Amino acid sequence: MKKTMSRALALAMASALLLNGCGNGGNGESEGDNGAAGGTTNDAGNANAVKDLVYPRLATRELETFNLLYSQRQEDFETLCNLVDGLVEADSYGKVQPAVAEKWSTEDGGLTWTFNLRNDVKWVDMNAQEKANCVANDFATGLEWVLNFHKNDSSNTSMPLEMIKGAEEYYEYTKTLSKEEAYALTAEEGSKFREMVGIATPDENTVVYTCINPTPYFYTVGTYACLFPMSQAMVDELGGPDGVKSMTNETMWYNGCYTMTSYIQGNEKILEKNPTYWDKEASLFDSVTIKMVESSDVAFQLYQSGEVDYCDLTESQIKTISENEGHEFHDYIVPAVASKYSYPYHFNFNKMKEDGTPDENWNTAVANEAFRLSWYYGLDLTNMWKRVNALDPMSCENNFYTMKGLVYTSDGTEYTELVAKELGLEINGKTPARLDKEKAEQYKKQAIEELTALGVTFPVGIDYYIPASSQTALDSANVTKQLFSESLGDDYVTLNIKTYVSKLNSEVIKPHLHSIVNNGWGADYGDPQNYLGQETYGTPQAYYSQNYSYINEITEETPANKALLDTYKEYTKLVEEANAITDDMDARYKAYAKAEAYMLQHALVVPVNYQQGWCLSRIDNTSRANAMFGCQNEKMKNWRTSKDAYTTEQATALAAEHAASTKK
Amino acid sequence: MEDQNKVLDQKLENEDELFHFVEYSPEAAEMIGYSDYSYWKSVFQNFMKKKSAVILSIIFFALVIFSFIALAIGKYDYANLVTDSSKAFIRPNAEYWFGTDNIGRDYWCQVWYASQTSIKLALIVALGECVVGITIGCVWGYVRQLDRFFTEVYNIINNVPMIIYMTLIALLVGQSFLIMCVSLIAFGWLVMARNVRNLVLMYRDREFNLASRTLGTPIHRVLVKNILPQLISVIILRLALSIPGTIGMESMLSYLGLGLDINTPSLGILLRNARSYFLDYPYLLIFPAVIVSVITITFYLIGNAFSDASDPRNHV
Amino acid sequence: MFKYTVKRLAQSLVTVLIVVTIVFLLLRMLPTDYYFTEEQLMKFTEQQKQEQLLAAGLLDPLPKQLFSFYGNLVQFDFGESRRIQNGVPVVKVIGDKFAISMKMGLISVGISVVVGVAIGILQARRKDKLADHIGTAYTIFVNAVPPLVSYSLILIFGSRVLGLPSMYSSRNVGPSSILPIVCLAMGSIAWWALWTRRYMIDEINKDYIKLARVKGLSTQKIMTKHVLRNAFVPLAQYLPASLLFTIGGSLLVERFFSVPGMGPLLTDAISRYDTNVVQTLVILYATLGVIGVFLGDILMMIIDPRIRLADKGGSR
Repeated sequence: MKKTMSRALALAMASALLLNGCGNGGNGESEGDNGAAGGTTNDAGNANAVKDLVYPRLATRELETFNLLYSQRQEDFETLCNLVDGLVEADSYGKVQPAVAEKWSTEDGGLTWTFNLRNDVKWVDMNAQEKANCVANDFATGLEWVLNFHKNDSSNTSMPLEMIKGAEEYYEYTKTLSKEEAYALTAEEGSKFREMVGIATPDENTVVYTCINPTPYFYTVGTYACLFPMSQAMVDELGGPDGVKSMTNETMWYNGCYTMTSYIQGNEKILEKNPTYWDKEASLFDSVTIKMVESSDVAFQLYQSGEVDYCDLTESQIKTISENEGHEFHDYIVPAVASKYSYPYHFNFNKMKEDGTPDENWNTAVANEAFRLSWYYGLDLTNMWKRVNALDPMSCENNFYTMKGLVYTSDGTEYTELVAKELGLEINGKTPARLDKEKAEQYKKQAIEELTALGVTFPVGIDYYIPASSQTALDSANVTKQLFSESLGDDYVTLNIKTYVSKLNSEVIKPHLHSIVNNGWGADYGDPQNYLGQETYGTPQAYYSQNYSYINEITEETPANKALLDTYKEYTKLVEEANAITDDMDARYKAYAKAEAYMLQHALVVPVNYQQGWCLSRIDNTSRANAMFGCQNEKMKNWRTSKDAYTTEQATALAAEHAASTKK
Repeated sequence: MEDQNKVLDQKLENEDELFHFVEYSPEAAEMIGYSDYSYWKSVFQNFMKKKSAVILSIIFFALVIFSFIALAIGKYDYANLVTDSSKAFIRPNAEYWFGTDNIGRDYWCQVWYASQTSIKLALIVALGECVVGITIGCVWGYVRQLDRFFTEVYNIINNVPMIIYMTLIALLVGQSFLIMCVSLIAFGWLVMARNVRNLVLMYRDREFNLASRTLGTPIHRVLVKNILPQLISVIILRLALSIPGTIGMESMLSYLGLGLDINTPSLGILLRNARSYFLDYPYLLIFPAVIVSVITITFYLIGNAFSDASDPRNHV
Repeated sequence: MFKYTVKRLAQSLVTVLIVVTIVFLLLRMLPTDYYFTEEQLMKFTEQQKQEQLLAAGLLDPLPKQLFSFYGNLVQFDFGESRRIQNGVPVVKVIGDKFAISMKMGLISVGISVVVGVAIGILQARRKDKLADHIGTAYTIFVNAVPPLVSYSLILIFGSRVLGLPSMYSSRNVGPSSILPIVCLAMGSIAWWALWTRRYMIDEINKDYIKLARVKGLSTQKIMTKHVLRNAFVPLAQYLPASLLFTIGGSLLVERFFSVPGMGPLLTDAISRYDTNVVQTLVILYATLGVIGVFLGDILMMIIDPRIRLADKGGSR
């Protein structure tokens, strides 16, 4: 879990747009992409389709490992998900589709889950020579690997530990072992692993997981790395766990749609179609060449000279192209795939000064609800959205904590629409929906009054940290500083831009130095719990409460924070209630929407933005996989392409068509 | 030297008394026969003969002075710049003399402010390198027992990649103008010291030094008065080259996030940023690049001219 | 001679050892948090972190760590990469990149020595004429324009006007190497030209050349047999080092053209705290540095038989 974090942290909002060479899966014109409809468009017969794709990626996104089970980086996933297939995958509507598992079901409201596997999935080597069949036991081996402390260094353990029965016990058990003992463990029938962990393989083609609690969304976890398979025969062939850790494209086994036939670090990867791939219907490229480029400018030049089929546009490029009628790409700017992150401001309720003493001024101020609400209603974020997307800033407007498009009710209503209804929010896409100057002014006055009585001095300083090497982050921070000053007034708050050298976590978060963090969260599985569960009070698993807002550290009730703690307790209660509903998904989502609305109304976090950029592309971005969760959105399968790049007009039509078929 | 001795000889012939004992006096030891010879005057005279160098140094001083004037006359104050996306990438015009950057801030004041930072940094570092480098270089070259020790120190510092030190400094100490100066000096003195040491070795045992020592001149005086003038040409050349070197190094470190803190813009940082825009908006690159180039060329030529001029062998 | 070589090599070994020890200790000065990724830091409890560090041997007392590090070094075991390519032996990580950087570097050094020396000779022979001025202008230009800028210009010009590939490709090595090699060579051509000219002019003014002229030797012969040979002696010293350092690659050029070479490796490894890679690279670079100087001395001796290495040992 938490896979999305470090990138999002490091790149601080807008920078991610420019630096993250590419987002995931794809739907352009945002509004209503949902997972209610199935079916993929196969364009194998299209003569205009690109057969050999060349795709640029920024050099900073280089692969660090070939072991998908170990990786927690989006940069790794975007390549590895093409090489290895898991139980399920996602389609361009974000709906879960069969992959290695043909079908899945639960009989008891999500306590046990049965996955029926295909019998024609093969493990092959780099040259597509068959090695073995991909069978149920491989999923057990994969899970054992993840849960084995010495094998996987506790990567990707959080979801299994949280959901699968016995997983935590097994994980703790492997910790007590020596490295050699732990290496010797396997997932064979009758092994310690089978004895302890809730996974069973009644036959070669059936995997049964047993959850701790009813988990109605468990099958969506199958899109993520932690449930991916690994062949014991491969482990043996590579000479044990150390061999797996150091495996390369030449030694690893593949069961995905491509094999990597060439890998030159920092330069180029060549993927070739896997002829034994189980999905014979899928349209795949004959080959995919991934070029690592130094910057987006280089990518743009390569696109210009026809060497690559896609490139993201930087702010200056967008400006030049869009303002120049005669520009060769003037009609070819198309929306890039929106990122899957929802960015809010997380407050730090237990801030320290650099000398390690509590920053009473900030802590008292932020515990005041009127103070937070003045932000919620008063911050006009338009300039920040413009920085992310100069042509269509409103596409970046974010009013929710949960990412839109995560889940849908049975009648096709998108989850955040439920939240909007709870909040009474009218989103028109033209003006910021939340903005209410009058209310903000009123709350500001109230806050100043109440806080002055508590001894808070104004203006309240906001410590905002950005990476020292990133100019993009600095530019964004300057814009942010400006908008705080314009929206809330210099007499009230001032934003102090501060820097860290390398690790946000060690240098800033651990020492509690931040006042706010603009941190994006991408879902790990398809349920609002994955978002709202990170903010609950008093639960150590709640990621943000534990590590960012530090609300969990505030245990002593004082007059200044009593209201805050009460709000948090109420919110936590609402989330727990929602999570307890496992039989009726519509009721479940409605309950979550209520909890989220409560959280936003009390401004425990302040939603800020989405990320939606622009690109030049010979790929139809709406044909890409588009799940809000999982690690497989960059799987280059069933991508529609056109040798003549897509025009803005075509892209708009495609997006409309896609959105229409979504609603079905 | 020989010429001067001859002159001295001629003068002495006119004296009544040829020899007598005198107390050691630094002033008297300085006195030589060629009465109107002044080292620095000659240096200056020689330097003035190089027209190109003179013009360039005038340009450089003008640049420094202008950077202050520019900030004063600019329409926007660096400290109060505001971002405005609607004014992004405006090409140079009457309102924005150097145009605006990607978030709509006046570029004029940024460029001049950055120039000041960079020049200040470069001068301080160059000066620091000189002081430390010459001092250590002299000791290194003159005191035989310390040669091995300093050679090892040199090897060790020189062979550990600088970026490791810089990373550690940035992480453990922090980032600021002062820290940057100190750390650049801390590694920059090596080259200077090594050059000085080699020259000191060359001159240490020359006859005039032997004579001087025999006459009881203390070591520090031998170093400062006899040897140092021989080194000035080399020192100045190093100094001149270190200035563009520092600017380049600073921009490299900024590129890696180990440079100045980001609230202190430097030419290196401006150059780094402009790289992403210069195809579409070349002016963002041209202005800082021209200033860097002017500084570099100036110091390169001034350094050459000055080092020629300061070599006593080229004097009358 | 043999004795001297052995002594010199032994000294070098000690230097390398000290350097790598210092780097080892410097890396251990970093807070242990830097051994984890951002995600791991978030999730791991203090106890988990301690366990991981323990497993990696990082909690052992420093002397013990150092000892086992030396132990592995003796067996030429440089450990495994942690982040660059997880689990892959460092030697393999470096090995893949080594050849590419070196091939490109050797070609560029070859070109720059030939072209640079040729320009230098031409300048020296046509001193103060047009050719000389053009050469000087080139030298100044290369030094004055920041590499970030000049590389960008080459990239644009090469890819847009000449239609050369702007990115290194293993399937198209020849054409795609042209631009990076040009960038690499551009600067060092200027360096070689500058110093060749300088030393040749010094040499031409010497008395023995006048004698040779009086004897009636042709200018051609004087230039090749006497001037060039003598002028090349001080230059030769730098040749081995510059050849060896091609292995290190160039950070900027390789980043620019996505050359999968050694250039960006050190900074990457440091920023990702891949200690084994850093240590190995430092050993490599220090060794190259020391060997480069040593070979330089030997080459100098071969070209100029008057120079005797054994005498150069001590403080001189």
